[in-house]
Amino acid sequence: MTLNKPWADFLDELGGIARFATRFFAQVFRPRYEGAELLRQCFLIGNLSLPLVGLTSFIMGLVLTMQLRPSMVEYGVESQIPAMVAIAVVREIGPVIIALIFAGKIGSSIGAELGSMKVTEQIDAMEVSGTNPFKYLVVTRVLATTLMLPVLVLIGDSIMLFGSFIGVNIYTVTSFPLYISQAMDSLTFQEFLPAILKTFFFGFAVGIIGCYKGFHTSRGTEGVGRAANSAVVVSSVWIFILDLLAVQITDLLGYN
Amino acid sequence: MKQKAWNNIKLGVFVLAGLLLLIAGLYLIGKDTNLFSRNYILRAQFSNVEGLVVGNNVRYSGIQVGTVKEVKFLSDTLIEVRMVVEEDMQSIIRKDDIASVGTDGLMGNKIINIAPGRTGAPLAVENDLLRTEEGNSTEAMLAKLALTNNNLLEISNELKKTVQNINTSRNLWRLLNDESLPASVLESLANIRRATEKAQATVADLQTIVADVKAGKGTVGQLLRDTAMAVSLADAVKGIRQLENRADTLATQLSELVTTLDNDLATGKGPVPAALHDSLMVQKVHSILSRVDTSAARFNENMEAMKHNFLFRGYFKKQEKEKQKQAQAPQQ
Amino acid sequence: MDTLPAITPAPAANSPQSLVLEASHVYKSFGSNHVLMDFNFQLYKGENVVILGKSGSGKSVFIKCVIGLLQPDKGSIVVLEQDITSLRNEALDHLRAKVGFLFQSNALYDSMTVRENLEFPMRRHWLAGQQRNSESLVQEVLENVGLAHTINMMPAELSGGMRKRIALARTLILNPEIILYDEPTTGLDPITAREIGNLMLEMGRKYNTSAVIISHDMNCIKLVADRIVLLYDGKAYANGTYEELRRSQDNIVKQFFE
Ligand SMILES: Nc1ncnc2c1ncn2[C@@H]1O[C@H](COP(=O)(O)OP(=O)(O)OP(=O)(O)O)[C@@H](O)[C@H]1O
Ligand SMILES: [Mg+2]
Repeated sequence: MTLNKPWADFLDELGGIARFATRFFAQVFRPRYEGAELLRQCFLIGNLSLPLVGLTSFIMGLVLTMQLRPSMVEYGVESQIPAMVAIAVVREIGPVIIALIFAGKIGSSIGAELGSMKVTEQIDAMEVSGTNPFKYLVVTRVLATTLMLPVLVLIGDSIMLFGSFIGVNIYTVTSFPLYISQAMDSLTFQEFLPAILKTFFFGFAVGIIGCYKGFHTSRGTEGVGRAANSAVVVSSVWIFILDLLAVQITDLLGYN
Repeated sequence: MKQKAWNNIKLGVFVLAGLLLLIAGLYLIGKDTNLFSRNYILRAQFSNVEGLVVGNNVRYSGIQVGTVKEVKFLSDTLIEVRMVVEEDMQSIIRKDDIASVGTDGLMGNKIINIAPGRTGAPLAVENDLLRTEEGNSTEAMLAKLALTNNNLLEISNELKKTVQNINTSRNLWRLLNDESLPASVLESLANIRRATEKAQATVADLQTIVADVKAGKGTVGQLLRDTAMAVSLADAVKGIRQLENRADTLATQLSELVTTLDNDLATGKGPVPAALHDSLMVQKVHSILSRVDTSAARFNENMEAMKHNFLFRGYFKKQEKEKQKQAQAPQQ
Repeated sequence: MDTLPAITPAPAANSPQSLVLEASHVYKSFGSNHVLMDFNFQLYKGENVVILGKSGSGKSVFIKCVIGLLQPDKGSIVVLEQDITSLRNEALDHLRAKVGFLFQSNALYDSMTVRENLEFPMRRHWLAGQQRNSESLVQEVLENVGLAHTINMMPAELSGGMRKRIALARTLILNPEIILYDEPTTGLDPITAREIGNLMLEMGRKYNTSAVIISHDMNCIKLVADRIVLLYDGKAYANGTYEELRRSQDNIVKQFFE
């Protein structure tokens, strides 16, 4: 075995994350259930990300429309802007951009929080206080990210489309109902549902990787920073990998 | 404690907003598939549905009123289409209304168009069979285009045959040599042959394009969704038709001439031997050949334009520029 | 091991005594770092035993083994008549509810207020009856450590000494039978340190708790220790009262008392 170090590290981490995820599934359906903590995490992870997601989504929708417009006008298909933006936003840009922002905000905060809990022995303290820290800290957070990201994406997608609506109205006058019907007519369930479904996986990846990084923070406070940083990097990469898998699977199932 | 309850309320609002948007999204996407409104069923029978599939839209005088629910064979020549139509339309659609299979835009999805019958028949009820009419302008145009292609193929085949005739006809060659027709005639013959080959290649190209267009796929299929393209397509079809006629007559004339010449020369009687000394006759052959020549050139040009028409809008501009250049060239 | 100083296995005072904690032949290593090698330890009811040792000698590792945070590689640790190395889940939680642990780094939950920090172990250990008067209990324990006014503060707003005292309060709130103190007085001024020491003694007397105390603070040790165990080279190198060890002629023991 002469794996060079980066590869060995990469595989080691992959195995670690896989085992961590297995542990999550082994524990998630077994009592005791940390319902109150789950709700608290959902609030912290979902609600408190909304302003950031909302702002970036709005700008994204607006900019996308303004950037697309010149070429669409040149091809004489200006009226197709809502349809095109809707497909781009719902199928790809919404899920991926929002998941990346989510990874930046939530992945790092989970990594840093659990990391500092780890190095200051708070996780041990929990364990001796009759609490399974994996259940209390990891299961709740991973469930919260998995459940909240789709909600954020639904809201973010809508805000992006609203931003695009504003973008269209900068140049021409299009009523809101017309815009919505133009945008939505181009979409089908086969495009909408897989796009929403994949965000569950994105959310899961952000949660599980953030928790893994936090839980495996090496001793010392600078380890906390590293945990937060690599939680974001690794989960962002995984979002893209999962996105690639998602498009291939939907393609395979003939939903493309 | 109070803060916590408040946070939970906010979380509830947040999740509810997401759920509502999900439902709204599903509704807006699904409203064309009639998942959420009340409907009734209407039927129509066709001999050819031209690729209509389940889920295609049903329009009444251009307004979305439902979708196709089922397409099935009743016999080998009869296909029944069952449509789900919004309940509101029960007070509008009549038994005599005419359903036809059409296309959304030039290259869009297939649709069922229902047009008012205007004979004052009673209102249609659940499961009623509507009158039908087959084919519409777009369909017809594409059919015409396909037909045009076939004709072109025939013409080019004929041209080829003629050229072969000319080539293999010893007598004619002898005639031409003996009578020392201008060298340009020989050239013309070579041109005809070249034009024929080219025409065949172009026809093959065109056929694949038309097939793609019919299936609505490929870049061409996409481009054709644009209305401007539709217009130029129609123009092109018209152009081909004209060309076709001209080439047709030429080919016939030519082959007639060749056969007569051949026959006369072989038998050694009739007007031909005499005519051979007639400079008028020579001139006639000459002019026919030159007409074939220019026509072949124009034919090529047209085919070229046709190709470019599908793929590049800028072709005509390019041609214009070249013409301008040529116009300027002599002045220098 | 013949250089060992005289060892008195049981405390001189209040016998006959029941054993509440007994570790025998404990081995623990991290890779090639052999931390505990054949470590033996006994704790009797009502006794305060100090574990003394160099930094990195494995004191924290040992008491983490006692509470089940770490698994020893070999050997048995019997806590309140149960072998902690073989307990799982609920049984382990039940035992842990009777054993308090004061962490070296306090381990206060950053995201919770002082009140929530104190309530946490109460809510989590399903101890019947405790739940109802949690409010007054929190008040009482906070008053015991003299920090009643911090009840709604976050740990980040407290000084190091205050945090230590809150951590102590959190350890005491469940009324454990055994308390494991990991350096309870490090980083505190001498006055506070003495207060903490006295508090530890008081709690011990009041509820007849036993305690294992890890400390380098000689004043504190002198104050609270009924007995001292010197952890050296992974073993219980010496064992005796403060006075006994102070007068020891052994070179290694002497180093700690200079
Ligand atoms: N989880 C762990 N993984 C790897 N090594 C560890 C772990 N915990 C402790 N060690 C190692 O065990 C040895 C003993 O550590 P321990 O924390 O018990 O020291 P200590 O006696 O408490 O020292 P101090 O007085 O400084 O707290 C150290 O060398 C440390 O590196
Ligand atoms: Mg220590």
